[in-house]
Amino acid sequence: MADKVLFRFLTVTDYEEEEIFLREQHKQGWKLRKYILPGFYSFDKVMPEDVVYRLDFDQAQCGGKEEYLQMYRDYGWEYLFDVNRFSYFRKPAVSAEDDMEIFSDNASRLGMVERIFKRRMIPLLIIFLCIVVPQMMIQLINWLDGGFAAAGALGIIYAALFAGYVFLFIHCGKKIIKLRKKYADLSDGRW
Amino acid sequence: MKERIQRVYVPMTETGFYILFCLQEEMHGYNIGRKVKEMTGGEVTISPGTMYGTLAKMDKDGLISFVREEEKRKIYRITELGYEILHIELHRIERLYKNSRGEYRNGR
Repeated sequence: MADKVLFRFLTVTDYEEEEIFLREQHKQGWKLRKYILPGFYSFDKVMPEDVVYRLDFDQAQCGGKEEYLQMYRDYGWEYLFDVNRFSYFRKPAVSAEDDMEIFSDNASRLGMVERIFKRRMIPLLIIFLCIVVPQMMIQLINWLDGGFAAAGALGIIYAALFAGYVFLFIHCGKKIIKLRKKYADLSDGRW
Repeated sequence: MKERIQRVYVPMTETGFYILFCLQEEMHGYNIGRKVKEMTGGEVTISPGTMYGTLAKMDKDGLISFVREEEKRKIYRITELGYEILHIELHRIERLYKNSRGEYRNGR
């Protein structure tokens, strides 16, 4: 059993906040054990320690996960688990600052932002446009036209989903623009 | 093909340059990272995420090729195309260096 469970709702674009959150927890003696979507973090009680947490998004090549993890292990990172295609790593903050990063140039930091956008945001947008929006319309029309209570209930569920998605798109969209700007501004330019 | 690769890789980033330069000998990612640290006196670091991504990209673009695997570590080596690109880049760096010291191309 975990000693503490916290709920934090962080979206796919909030990984830098998540890294800070997990480091703060560890500093207070709460070592991350497990993370379950949509936001349940369970911790074990340990001695307080400064441990850096880092997240990488879906970078391992197809069938190459072991080699990918070995690279991180070689660099002294402990691999925790994968959730939602994010790989979680941690390392005690004792070595030089350079060694506490998993990316050493802005091109690769931007690469991660792009992967999140292409592999997470675009599929969500497709689900939204092809399922949530038409279903909501159909159910609401059935309800208003035919007075079917079941359609009304479904319609309301879809409307709630619709609102959730819109909130998510606005939040993540803004965040992606911010991250892009942050790393493109400082970027070493090109390849 | 080569023109496209040249456009993408020249001028090169420090990460790209050091990886390609090191792979004139067979090596795996972490060893490249260590060697670069040693060569540059700690001034250049290539972190694991950047190393992994750059190796994968260079492999895909045919600048380096996978040789074999040793204890889950992929060993790579530069290819013909990689050499060509490296030489173009070395020539460019040499020119920059010479020009910066006031030397002109035609030897004055």
